[in-house]
Amino acid sequence: MTVGEVQAGTGNPPEVLDGPFSTRQLLRIDEALRLADQGTGLVFSVFVGGLDEPVREHAERLHRQLADPDRSVLIAVSPNQRRLEIVTGRHARKRIPDTYAKLAALSMVASFGGGDLAGGIISGLDQLASHAGRG
Amino acid sequence: MGLSVTDTLLVYVGIPAAAVLVIGGLAYAASRGNGGRGAKRYRPGRPFDFTPVWFLARPEHLADSAGTALAAGAQAPALTSRKQEQAGREAPAGGTGGASDRW
Repeated sequence: MTVGEVQAGTGNPPEVLDGPFSTRQLLRIDEALRLADQGTGLVFSVFVGGLDEPVREHAERLHRQLADPDRSVLIAVSPNQRRLEIVTGRHARKRIPDTYAKLAALSMVASFGGGDLAGGIISGLDQLASHAGRG
Repeated sequence: MGLSVTDTLLVYVGIPAAAVLVIGGLAYAASRGNGGRGAKRYRPGRPFDFTPVWFLARPEHLADSAGTALAAGAQAPALTSRKQEQAGREAPAGGTGGASDRW
């Protein structure tokens, strides 16, 4: 099921298309998320939007909203504040140590600095998932 | 065989001018057709106005019940502002790790 199909039923323009990504980028992010989830057994999630100060605490609160925070990884990107937060749950942290999260963050930030939000998110997901390995 | 003045002008001015017009027109049409998306593009350092989005491979992974209203397999679209306000009130969890960076 694609993003476009989901909205076709509602008749309203999809909220997600008001977001920062084109349909093609949305599909690529969806695919990257699905592969990351299937490959690792962890739950990956990407938030793109404004974060309140303190940014880290806000990202952790979003992470807690997920159904299974311990096994979840949240990538929170705030383009206007130019901030990136990667939050790993207690269990996920054992699979993805903070040093590797930092490495993924570095490569994502490199893409973001060039204006490529979707590319950074996809490559970051790929790095995190490949380091987490099979669950 | 000599070219007349009219022929010379036609070949050396008319054809290049036509080519310039065609290519310029195509480029202009392409940039206009893409204008909506191009205007929305993120450029570092410039204010960027968009609806916040939260992606999950499976929306049922969001603890909030409203997230499950979406069809399975779809992306969770932007959270409602109500949910984001709720997120702002909850106490932060301990024991999480990860990384922070800025660009």
